[in-house]
Amino acid sequence: MSAGPVLTVDTYSLAYGTSAGAFQALRDVSLALQGGEVLGLVGESGSGKTSLAHAIMRGLPPNVGREDGRILLGREDLASLSQARMTNIRGRRLGMVFQDPSTSLNPTMTLGTQIIEVLTRHRGLDRQAAQRESVAMLERVGLKTPAAMMHRYPHEVSGGEKQRVVIAAAFACQPEVLLFDEPTTALDVITARQILDLFRDLQSETGVASLYISHDLALVSTIADRVAVIHQGRIVEQDPAERIFSAPQDAYTKRLISAVPRPDRRLVDDEASSTGSTLLSGQDLTVRYGRPSLLDFLNKDRAKRVTGAQSVSFDLAQGEILGIVGESGSGKSTIAKALVGLNPFTGTIGFGSSKLTGRRDMDAAYRRAVQIIFQHPDSSLNPRQTVGTIIARPLRRYGLDREAPVAETVAGLLRDVQLPEDYARRYPHQLSGGEKQRVAIARAFASKPQIVICDEITSSLDVSVQASIIQLLLALRARHGTAYLFITHDLNLVRQIAHRIVVMYRGDVVETATVASLARQPEHAYTKALLDAVPVPVG
Amino acid sequence: MSLSYLVKRIGFILFTLLAVSVIVFGITQVLPGDAAQMMLGENATDDALAAVRDRLGLDRPIWLQYWDWLSATLGGDFGTSLRTGLPVSEMMLPALQRSLLLALLAILLMLVLAVPMGIIAALRRGKPTDVVIGLGSYVGVSMPEFVTATVVLLLLANPVLGLFPATGYVPLTEDFWEGLHHLALPVLTVSVILIAHVSRMVRSEMIDVLHTDYVRAARMKGLTRRRVILRHALPNALLPAITIVALDVGYLLGGIIVVEEIFAFPGIGRQLIVAIQNRDLPAIQAGALIMAATYAIVNFLADLAYAALDRRIQYA
Amino acid sequence: MPETIRRLLHTPQGAIGSVIVVIVLLAAIFGPWLAPDNPETFNYGNRFEGPSGQFLFGTDQFGRDLFSRILHGAQSTVLMAIFATVIGTGIGAVIGTGSAYLGGRFDELVMRLVDAVMAIPNLLFALLIVTALGASGVNALVAIGIAFAPGMARIARSVALTVREQDYVKAAIARGESAGYIILREMLPNVIAPIVVEMTIRVAFAIMLLATLSFLGLGAQPPSSEWGLMVSEARSYMFRNAWMMIWPGVCIAVVAIGFNLLGDGLRDALNPKT
Repeated sequence: MSAGPVLTVDTYSLAYGTSAGAFQALRDVSLALQGGEVLGLVGESGSGKTSLAHAIMRGLPPNVGREDGRILLGREDLASLSQARMTNIRGRRLGMVFQDPSTSLNPTMTLGTQIIEVLTRHRGLDRQAAQRESVAMLERVGLKTPAAMMHRYPHEVSGGEKQRVVIAAAFACQPEVLLFDEPTTALDVITARQILDLFRDLQSETGVASLYISHDLALVSTIADRVAVIHQGRIVEQDPAERIFSAPQDAYTKRLISAVPRPDRRLVDDEASSTGSTLLSGQDLTVRYGRPSLLDFLNKDRAKRVTGAQSVSFDLAQGEILGIVGESGSGKSTIAKALVGLNPFTGTIGFGSSKLTGRRDMDAAYRRAVQIIFQHPDSSLNPRQTVGTIIARPLRRYGLDREAPVAETVAGLLRDVQLPEDYARRYPHQLSGGEKQRVAIARAFASKPQIVICDEITSSLDVSVQASIIQLLLALRARHGTAYLFITHDLNLVRQIAHRIVVMYRGDVVETATVASLARQPEHAYTKALLDAVPVPVG
Repeated sequence: MSLSYLVKRIGFILFTLLAVSVIVFGITQVLPGDAAQMMLGENATDDALAAVRDRLGLDRPIWLQYWDWLSATLGGDFGTSLRTGLPVSEMMLPALQRSLLLALLAILLMLVLAVPMGIIAALRRGKPTDVVIGLGSYVGVSMPEFVTATVVLLLLANPVLGLFPATGYVPLTEDFWEGLHHLALPVLTVSVILIAHVSRMVRSEMIDVLHTDYVRAARMKGLTRRRVILRHALPNALLPAITIVALDVGYLLGGIIVVEEIFAFPGIGRQLIVAIQNRDLPAIQAGALIMAATYAIVNFLADLAYAALDRRIQYA
Repeated sequence: MPETIRRLLHTPQGAIGSVIVVIVLLAAIFGPWLAPDNPETFNYGNRFEGPSGQFLFGTDQFGRDLFSRILHGAQSTVLMAIFATVIGTGIGAVIGTGSAYLGGRFDELVMRLVDAVMAIPNLLFALLIVTALGASGVNALVAIGIAFAPGMARIARSVALTVREQDYVKAAIARGESAGYIILREMLPNVIAPIVVEMTIRVAFAIMLLATLSFLGLGAQPPSSEWGLMVSEARSYMFRNAWMMIWPGVCIAVVAIGFNLLGDGLRDALNPKT
């Protein structure tokens, strides 16, 4: 490699001016990216990782207060360059790939135009040459019909294809440095894996130096040469990738690593499924969405209704944790909603000795016993009610307020979810995401349920918050013997806590197995692909 | 845009027009007073009244009257004016032409001014230019047409300066420049509120679009500022403006009624006001129906244009 | 609530809008007591006067004190417009939320009808209703209320549908709560705020519409000092005493600006994200 790093961040600090005073986003950040190297930058939300990417690209928001230190591309200090010079560097010497390909491509322009414009701008090609070059680039990123792709619009292709186009545009001018800002987070597990493979191929082929930004430590450790951990605007640790899991130095890194879900470290040691009797079961549950519109009689295909889930069967034993995994649109949440009466269904739900064939059969006893916690804590708590009112409602609803004074019960529930008792007087917007989810858990446990359905309850939370929520759920289960239906897309997480796992794919259950046998010998091809695609922490 | 979407939209516009005709007919039936009495005056004999009622079919069931009216209207026959005794269509259609000219010029003026104003305000967000445009648009949307007209008349048509004629209409075919001279003040007045409203909408759409990932991505690709704004941001910001402009045609039609009255412009709005003042039933029905239908059709066309231009949504 | 008011007064729009609206409301309520003169007293010795110490805003063709007339007119302009908006919002909110809650074919039918009614421009619709009912201030009020209802129904419905999709409503359904509880306790408090914002902006529009109807001779009737009517009467004397036209015109615009600003300020203040 040539002398010196291609990108240097030298004791860089950044503060934003906000109405509440200055906010220090980055403090004395120093990084050096060598030619051909992949440097992973890992941090939770609010750690400053995205601010650093914006600072390098000189795409900072207008409320920047104070900057210190230097950011060098080769020997040029990017902060000292004029807007015009910087515009010439962006896309040509310094490129960026964004998180969500469905929002980072212009919906009103063809995919072809969005690559051609980079080539004509930076490499001075005429339209025809740029056209030829673009087709070649699209082929290189593994798109099967590159010439046809040129004329398509973003909405006409899949998410994975879109991200391939974005990557093609980023590599088009053979830049010296590329920034990847969570490029696979918005994609399904298997697609994400394919994009990662593509990244690896192109990276080794072109030797571009890459800064790979992600919240996912396991993923970064599999593709980066070195990993830097960022916390509250500071780089707390830099290590070779293979050492980050085995020999972390910094206290925060250690905490982060212990929070990362690892399938080889079980958090549940009992075997409930073999002992308990069946508590809840589903037989041939089918959910269809959609309703014909008044004017649909004008259409020939009037009977077009979307099937959300097709003949799903499962059973859940007392105290068992049953995981349901699948990508978005696989029908896993559809089933959860049907079980609590939010979706109409056909088929039978078995609960104890009773059989339910429709939403009308769900009486107060069933509703009290089966509780649900939703994914987004922001939307699951009524913003105009206090935490106390929210938690007290199930008590009043199911007549539990006669057993003990409501205020005392609410205080006890808040203690159970490790929140201060005086939170009862607060409103949801005064709480953090993790705290809101604890309130939702307290509300679910207020009615002393036998079954709690957890619908992706940690997927909008940071990994360390996720770990504490999982711990809380397991502690509550140990105390009350509650069974969980744990719905998630995170295979590593569910392998840590579930006894058995149901794998869903496009509305169907493709496999149900115990955790051990699923990992050892998956039966269905989709399960196999899923297991292969998930990055597992190494070391 | 699929064929079934088109069929659906056409079905909907037909339903809308039908509902509008029912409403217009229904409201005019509640009118106090009796059409026959109005035609013949206070001193008419009962026999004469009965004869007229019979001739006009006023004694028949209401739904039959509606059906007769609707089928005649569909055939282009709006009946006979109770005030002038002339066929209503002869009064209304030339007036409609003149009003459409007024409306089109107003929309043209609005587009020429409002779109650039909105874009500039968005690009200079928070700067003095933006604040001035913003204040101007607050004043603009808060002035009813008759107040704007007052200001315009005081400033541009006062006897001292006499820059523009205060009233009247000269056909463009007769004397093009004189015609424009007479149209200037009505067009200016009726477009103020549109300019203010549309520039605000364009500004807020543009600000939203400038914050999207794809515009940020375009900037990070090193494209020129010019290309980022004109090619990436602008088309996406103007797309929703189509719908807004179409909805504003509603204001415009209302504004035209007032402006034509003030500037004595012989358009359909003025015909309608005269008809209302004289309780000229067939003319009221025709005027209201023509205006409402125009508005419905403009919105229908805007929906089609939007569906054709918006690549994101598949219209089923 | 104090939190919302604090945020409202922090934005320039909210602060200016609130000041204007409070002054206007005070003038509308206490105007008749504040007015120095009887608005209908003729003073033939002082016709067409400009603003002076004796007549703050000048006098009209009968020598009536314009300032007193404006103060009296605030009632028949501003309070009537607010009342009309409240009527329209009330009818619209009931139709919209009811339609959203019942859903299905009923919802679709209602919304198609609402769309059809909205195909008639507001002023035209109001004109037709006033024509049917007869020209008077009260009828103009009713006409505007009815003309506003479909638009408010559409807004109320879309707000209600958004709220209905929130997880806290789903949680309530999953708990087996009654429809009454869900609508009144979970949905209503969250539906009201956006509707109040829309209503505030609509008041500005109602003032303009009401004044326009009076201007056309289809609203308030002489000798009322409704502001639109004042402008209409002043037209004949435009170049003899422009103040007769300027004062009511300015008042209409300022009040409408005030309500527009307040509405925008409220929208920002009630949106917890910004």
